[in-house]
Amino acid sequence: MSQAQAAAEGASPPNAGATATAAALASYSDPVVRFLTACAVAWALAGMAAGVWIAAELVWPGLDFGQPWLSYGRLRNLHTNGVIFGFGVSALMGTALYSVQRTCHVRLFAPGLAWFCAIGWQLGVLAGGASLLAGWNAGKEYAELEWPFDIAIAVVWVCFGVVFFGTIGRRRIRPIYVSNWFYGGLIIVIAMLHIVNSLALPVGWGKSYSLFAGAQDAIVQWWYGHNAVGFLLTGGFLGMLYYFLPKHAGRPIWSYRLSIVAFWAFTYSYIWAGPHHLHYNAIPAWVQSLGMVMSLVLLAPSWATMINGVMTVAGAWRKLRTDPALKFIVLALAFYGLATFEGPMMSIKSVNVVSHFTDWTVGHVHSGALGWNALITFGTFYFLVPRLVGGALHSVRLANVHFWLALAGTMLYVLAMWGAGVSQGVLWLALDHIGDVRFGFRDIMASMAPYYALRLLAGVVFLVGAVLMAWNLWRTVQGRPTAVVHPP
Amino acid sequence: MALRYRSPWGLLRNPVVACAQLAEDAPSPHAVLFRHTVWLALLPPVFAFVGAANFGWRLGADEPLVLDTGQLALVSLGYFFALLAGFVGAAGAARWMAPTYGATEDFGRHLGLVAVVAAPLAAGAVAHLFPHVFLNLLVLIPALIWSMYLLYTGLPVALGTSPERGMLMASSLIGFLLVAVVILLGVTVALWGAGVGPLLGL
Repeated sequence: MSQAQAAAEGASPPNAGATATAAALASYSDPVVRFLTACAVAWALAGMAAGVWIAAELVWPGLDFGQPWLSYGRLRNLHTNGVIFGFGVSALMGTALYSVQRTCHVRLFAPGLAWFCAIGWQLGVLAGGASLLAGWNAGKEYAELEWPFDIAIAVVWVCFGVVFFGTIGRRRIRPIYVSNWFYGGLIIVIAMLHIVNSLALPVGWGKSYSLFAGAQDAIVQWWYGHNAVGFLLTGGFLGMLYYFLPKHAGRPIWSYRLSIVAFWAFTYSYIWAGPHHLHYNAIPAWVQSLGMVMSLVLLAPSWATMINGVMTVAGAWRKLRTDPALKFIVLALAFYGLATFEGPMMSIKSVNVVSHFTDWTVGHVHSGALGWNALITFGTFYFLVPRLVGGALHSVRLANVHFWLALAGTMLYVLAMWGAGVSQGVLWLALDHIGDVRFGFRDIMASMAPYYALRLLAGVVFLVGAVLMAWNLWRTVQGRPTAVVHPP
Repeated sequence: MALRYRSPWGLLRNPVVACAQLAEDAPSPHAVLFRHTVWLALLPPVFAFVGAANFGWRLGADEPLVLDTGQLALVSLGYFFALLAGFVGAAGAARWMAPTYGATEDFGRHLGLVAVVAAPLAAGAVAHLFPHVFLNLLVLIPALIWSMYLLYTGLPVALGTSPERGMLMASSLIGFLLVAVVILLGVTVALWGAGVGPLLGL
């Protein structure tokens, strides 16, 4: 077992005799992790409920009651920002701060700054969400928040980096465990993407114009957008996987070497893939082709990680009898395999010409967001939360029910969107016998209502599962103080 | 007593018994292939051909998309071979995974398990007789849930492994099957672009 694996297993560090400050050896800063976990669960419920509401609006448009702030155009942004930045980032911050202490055998560097990040982030998402409802919008997908929020996010994010890398800087184990490489990649790349893509000229508190124009603006936007998917929704959550999966399984990663190779291959190839969002648009054809080729290359590191995860769990099957959370991680890996195959396939131009601008893309995103991001986080929380309070999970049975609801909701969602998306792809492009477009846009969209009703059902099923989890975790921590754990 | 798995209907009537008998009998791959797999793979393309020839595909718009008989036969034949490749490929993937999960490596049993799991979907393909995409989804989604239930419950019995390892193997197979479905979607779309199927403005 390598030193890095030993770190993940919580074994004694080989250089434990090294000098360490009293501050570093104080108990782990877990209250901030507990706070971030609670916020992540709250954001999951709020963000997913907003998603269910807009899914219902696509079936019954009158559900906006004539209120601008309840309109699809505003609530959709609240949904995406709530689940990605509220739920996703809070979960990533919490698990990063939890695992970096344990893989470095030291307390957090600057715990006060960690609290500043944790609270600052929640206030940012809360106020940012309110600004979206009020109609402030920078007009960039997944970067809709206006410039005052962009600056606040950059400050909080850099502080997060200071806490994280500061902790690594005073680690008592020389190798840096692979989960920290992924979390570190997340912090550095998201800072770079966010700051560059948000460069803008303010013309008022709620309005600014991007420094980039036209096609360049589109390329920068999707360089940001796709790598936010890459380094946040993929890389960040891989950090979570690489720490919590071996802990769940009670054994080291199947191949530590493969995990490191996969990290560097992933980091190198992901950053080029953004232009596949702009196929057949007004950007140079070679840029589109480059984006497509690098997207296909991405399959290799993505599946290397999937195989590493699957093989790690395969040797730990006995744990399934006692650990309800492991199931979530197993299924998350299956959907990770699906999403990371489907994405490169959809980046092929001859597939994209049909799939682009259809609900197939929405289905693809949700096979990743529900099947991978949400399931891996649920599995992690079922493992992490009882340990944070030094107790047992309130109800294993409820967690098992949640598992089946999450699986059913995700499958229903993906199937509904595959049906809708492929139908749309054919109908947009269908020609009549004299070569005219055969079907009108409005007629096609009107015919999608049954699929949208099915998607609404899928969302409700998934949300009910998340509510059960929130209740279960609340009962687990209720009345219990955060456990005090010291570095070994 | 006639073994239930010897007819496709036996698979539907009592699948867990069929899995147990599959494990006991360990039929040869040829027997499973020609007695079950080929017939199950034939049902959806035949239903699809008959349905599309009579009604055309309804994707939601008012007018159905109608293909001429020659194109339709070609597409249906492609569907049959894709399904056959899917059956054999899934069984191959299952056998490839078997040592990892302590399951049997007997290919006949793997092919048999795939036939059991696919039986509800093949029967659900009767919805292809009226090729309305949403109607087909409504029928095939419950069939899929049934198939997944069979995969999780039948796999450990048919392949002789513990329920826990069976659960992991079934999840891995679901990952494989989801990818296979996506490949089928991608190949279909690429074929449309190449001029097979509906007339598209590409």
